[in-house]
Formats: sequence, structure tokens, C-alpha cells
Amino acid sequence: MNLFVADPDWGWWIILYFYLGGIAAGAYFTATLIDLLGSDEDRELARIGYWIAFPLVCLCGLFLTVDLGRPERFWHMLFKSEVVKAAVAEGWPWSGAGWAQMSHAFLFKYWSPMSVGAWALTLFGLCSFVSFLASLWPGGRLERLFRHGWLGRGLQVVGSLVGFFIAAYTGALLTATNQPLWSDSTWVAALFLASAASTGIALMILIAEWRRVSPAALQRLERADLWALGLELLVFAAFLASLGGDLLAVLESWHGRLFVVGVLVLGLLVPLAVHLRLGVSLRARGAVVAAAFALAGGFLLRYALLTTPPELLAEGPARVARFSPEDGRARGEGTGADPNNRGGEVEPRSKVFDKE
Amino acid sequence: MPEPVGFFTDTTVCIGCKACQVACHQWNDLPAWTDEPPRPGGKVSLPVLSGDSYDNTRSLSAVNWRHVKFIEQFSADANRSQAAWLMMSDVCKHCHDAPCLEVCPTGAILRTEFDTVYINPPACNGCRDCISACPFGVIHTSSKGIAQKCTFCYDRLKQGLTPACAQACPTQSIKFGPLAQLHKDAQARVAQLRQQGEPKASLYGADDQVLGGLNAFYLLVDKPETYGLPSRPKLPSRSVPLSSFWAVFTALLTALGFLFAFRRRAQPEPLTPNPSPQGGEGGVPQAGRAEP
Repeated sequence: MNLFVADPDWGWWIILYFYLGGIAAGAYFTATLIDLLGSDEDRELARIGYWIAFPLVCLCGLFLTVDLGRPERFWHMLFKSEVVKAAVAEGWPWSGAGWAQMSHAFLFKYWSPMSVGAWALTLFGLCSFVSFLASLWPGGRLERLFRHGWLGRGLQVVGSLVGFFIAAYTGALLTATNQPLWSDSTWVAALFLASAASTGIALMILIAEWRRVSPAALQRLERADLWALGLELLVFAAFLASLGGDLLAVLESWHGRLFVVGVLVLGLLVPLAVHLRLGVSLRARGAVVAAAFALAGGFLLRYALLTTPPELLAEGPARVARFSPEDGRARGEGTGADPNNRGGEVEPRSKVFDKE
Repeated sequence: MPEPVGFFTDTTVCIGCKACQVACHQWNDLPAWTDEPPRPGGKVSLPVLSGDSYDNTRSLSAVNWRHVKFIEQFSADANRSQAAWLMMSDVCKHCHDAPCLEVCPTGAILRTEFDTVYINPPACNGCRDCISACPFGVIHTSSKGIAQKCTFCYDRLKQGLTPACAQACPTQSIKFGPLAQLHKDAQARVAQLRQQGEPKASLYGADDQVLGGLNAFYLLVDKPETYGLPSRPKLPSRSVPLSSFWAVFTALLTALGFLFAFRRRAQPEPLTPNPSPQGGEGGVPQAGRAEP
């Protein structure tokens, strides 16, 4: 666990993006899988998934842009800004030289999750937009074109893959850093994917209840929810296990405790218990309660995971009082050595090193 | 192509005068205190005395591209009768395998012809991925919303000048030169110190153990953590393959579960007719067969 890093200040916009993006991706891949694997009766459910995905992904794009230090440069994620400017200077789009220059402007770093994610989000926006249009008018021409036939099938296959990618890459984005907690486990991407499935289905259940979808279809959705929650529980356990001794340091922080206990209880155990106690075959208020808890737990997962490392790095004034002259070396680490130094406290830090 | 250059910082001769910081501020026209806008959580470096150290700069920041760390060590007795200061002029390490350069999605972070790592301001859009990637906490965002760090005085290098910090250093704690020559000098200095009775003298970042080697490397007389340097910083992309594997594994399990959850209904009629206008297709769609 490396505590000598700076805090990237990924705050509310990013937390909301991770949360809503997860729901959008989860709802979308669930919808495409229903279209691909399910029966005709469940198409109404898939339609709900498509309704969810596109509006949410629009919000996500907005949040990501607002979060940038220079929002007007959002397109730098996709194109090399210098090359684009050179191409425009060459006369693009009215000159051949400009186009020749522009053909080198694409920026794609397959080893950087954020670079791949920017393209994937663009593609996901496109897929979810087409599916959204196709689901607006049941039995309409757009639905025949984009949800049936080879074009529809192709869209569903591509869309489900991109949906799964969007759900998972945000986790890989956190892992591909040097921040404490985020970079200490390779299970964050899988955890986000599992959470995307459970939160996506949860929102679909709420809307399906409200729309009075056929009980049989809803029952199958709840069965999928139970599966998704069970899987998320297993992945969460694997995540905690992968942290090893670092888990103790995480549990020393307030957000770390919120993360481990809150997600486990609120997001996983309670909805699972509600599902299991009432039985998945029962169509009752229980499903709504379970869905609400799953949604809350999914939010907590993103919020607490993003806010834990800053807390591990921060040294609040309260901790200065804990300075003890016994540990001279540790004292040294607390003053000059810490990039986020606010003075003081160092004991947990030296404990962390001893573990390594 | 010029040969790779670097900084060899010998912390044993640093006297903590902060001339390097001042020279850096002057050459790069950096404000004296802070140009950071106040952000949630009060993360602003205020122009105040730190109160718990003789070091008032406290950390590298958007306006402090050099920072002399004062590592104040005291003995364990109640009177703190023994005291020692370790001093280290901290700066961007210009890593061989630079995590910031690796993750930067805009291509704003470049490796220059001098083998240094440089942030191109007009290209940066302030996503802050580099900040989370840097294992040394070097990069910060300025009030202009873009990532800022030591440029290795790229403008001075272009003119054949020594970077401002190394030029100003009165004790030659910061040595600038061709990397190969600096490595030789550093080895000789370690041997000299060990001979003089400093067995803990060692180099940090001179070999390829730390991110493939650091162009700004250090001579330390304690373990790296004492100086706020991680022993084993990691390259961000190292975890992507295994993360991807577990994610794909989870995705497959999810799809499998959904298959069972939504397939059950189709059991009485295993071949669900495809309601597409083409019609007559089986349950398993195939693009080729669906062509009219």
C-alpha cells in the first residue's frame, strides 16, 4: 500500500458517473441478453433496460465533462489535439492534405483504461441510443429494424459486450493507479461489473413493478437479481481476501469501514435476505425493498471506495495530537516525507510498512 | 538525438537552503504561495507556517515543482536529546517507465528528446488520471485546471543550459548531467561514503528496480520510506490483464445466470420462433442465415 501519493480529487461527479454508468451498463447488458437469450414475453423487460441506459449514459458524459479541469477539451480524450489543430491549419475538411493529417489524429492507448474507456463510452452511447429509439414505439419500424433480424442481433451482441466493458472498466481505471486500496486488488473491475448487474436489474425491477409488467416476467427478473447479488457477494469476498493485510489499514479509516460493512450489509446481505426469505417465486413488495437496498448499496460501493484513499492519505488536525516522541523515525515520515503532509500522525503508516 | 540526462541528488550534502526551490520558482515564473482554487475538503496550501516543522513548503504542489523535504528525526528519550535532519530535494523522478505517461489519455504527457517526462499544457484537459497514477505524489492541478510538474527545464535544455535547480544548488547536492556519467559518479560516492563509515548509503532509482530506473535518482542513508519514497512503486498497467481476466470471468458467470433465469420459460417450446419479418429462424440467431 503506497501512501506517498497525491489525491486526484475524484469527487462527486466521478462517484455519480461510476454509479449511474454502472446502472446504465447493467440495465443495457441485461436487456440485450434478454433479447438474445430470452423468450418473447420478456421483451417488455428488455425495453425497460433500454429506457434506462441511454438517458443515464447522457448524464454520465455530462458529469465526466464537468469534472475535467478544462471541460472544453473533453475531445482530447479521443483525438490528438495537436494533430487536429495541424489538420485544421492544413485546411481540413476542405483539403486532401487536411484529411491526410486528420487520419493520424485518433488517440487510442489500449493499455490505459481511461483512453479505452473514452472510446467505449462513445460506442456505448451510440448503441444505447439506437436501442433506446428502437424501444420507444413497440411494434414500430425502428423496433423491427434494430431489435429483430440480423441488424438487431448484431447490435445486441455488440451492445452487450460494450455494456459489460463499461460496467467493468471503471474498476480497472481505479486499479490502474498507485492509490492505496484501489491499486491493491485486481478484483475492483469484477466487483464493479457484478454491482452494475445488481443495480441495473434493481432499477429495472422498480420500473417493471411500476409499469405492472407480467408477473411471470418479473419473477424471472427477480431470479436474475438473486443470481447477480449472489455473484456480487462472492466477488466482494474475493476482493476483501485479495487485500490481505491492507484490509486492516483500510478498516482504520471511517470511509473504509463504511465501504466494507456498509456495502456488505446494506448492498448485499439485506437484499439477499429479503429475496431468500420471501422466496424468489413470490411477487411481493419484497422485490421492491430488495431493489431499493441494492441500489443504495451500489451507491455506497462507489462513494466509499472513491473516498477511502484520500482519507488514508489525509492527516487531520486531530491526529497531530497523537504525535509521540517515542517513534522518531515515524515522526520523520510524518513531517517532511509525506507528499500530502498536514503534519503529525504516522503510527498506522509505519504499521503498513512493517506488513510489506 | 541528445543523450539522456538526469539529476543525481546526493541527500548527504543537502543543507536545506531551498535555493533549488527559489530558482525553480524564478525560472518557471511560479507564484510564491498558491494558485490553487479552494476545493472541497480545504485542500489548499495556505501561506502559513507549518507549525510542526522547519519546512513550510510541506509538499510538492502545482506551484512547487521542487521541494526540499526536512525529515526531522529525534531520539526516543523524553528530552529528545539526539536530533538528526535528513534533507532531500524532491522533484519529479522522470521515470523510465513513467506511470503518468502510461495512463495519460490525451497524449499530453510526452517523453522528450532528452529522455525526460514533460506535460504539454495545451493538450492536457485536467482528467487527473496522472495524479492517481504517480507513485510519488508529484503531479498536481493548477488553477488553470491542468496537470503541473517539473519540466526538467525543457526550455533551458533546448538552449544547452543546466536546469535552474541544479544551477543554483550551492553544495552540488543536485547534480545535472548525462545519465550514464551520473550513474558512475553516484556509485563512486556510495563507495566513498561506505568507506567513511556510512553503511546505509544506497542509491534509489539508479538501477532498473524502480520503474525501470529514474532519471532523477537519489543517494539515501535510510530506507526509502523514511524519505517518503515507496520501495516498490508499481506501473499502473501491470494490474490490467489480471483485472480484465476476473472481469471477463464475472461477466461470463453473469451471462450464464441470466441464461438460466430467462431461458426457463422457453422450455416447453425449445425453438422459439423468431418474430422478425424474415421469420422461420431458430432460437439461435445466425447473421448469415438471417440474410433475406
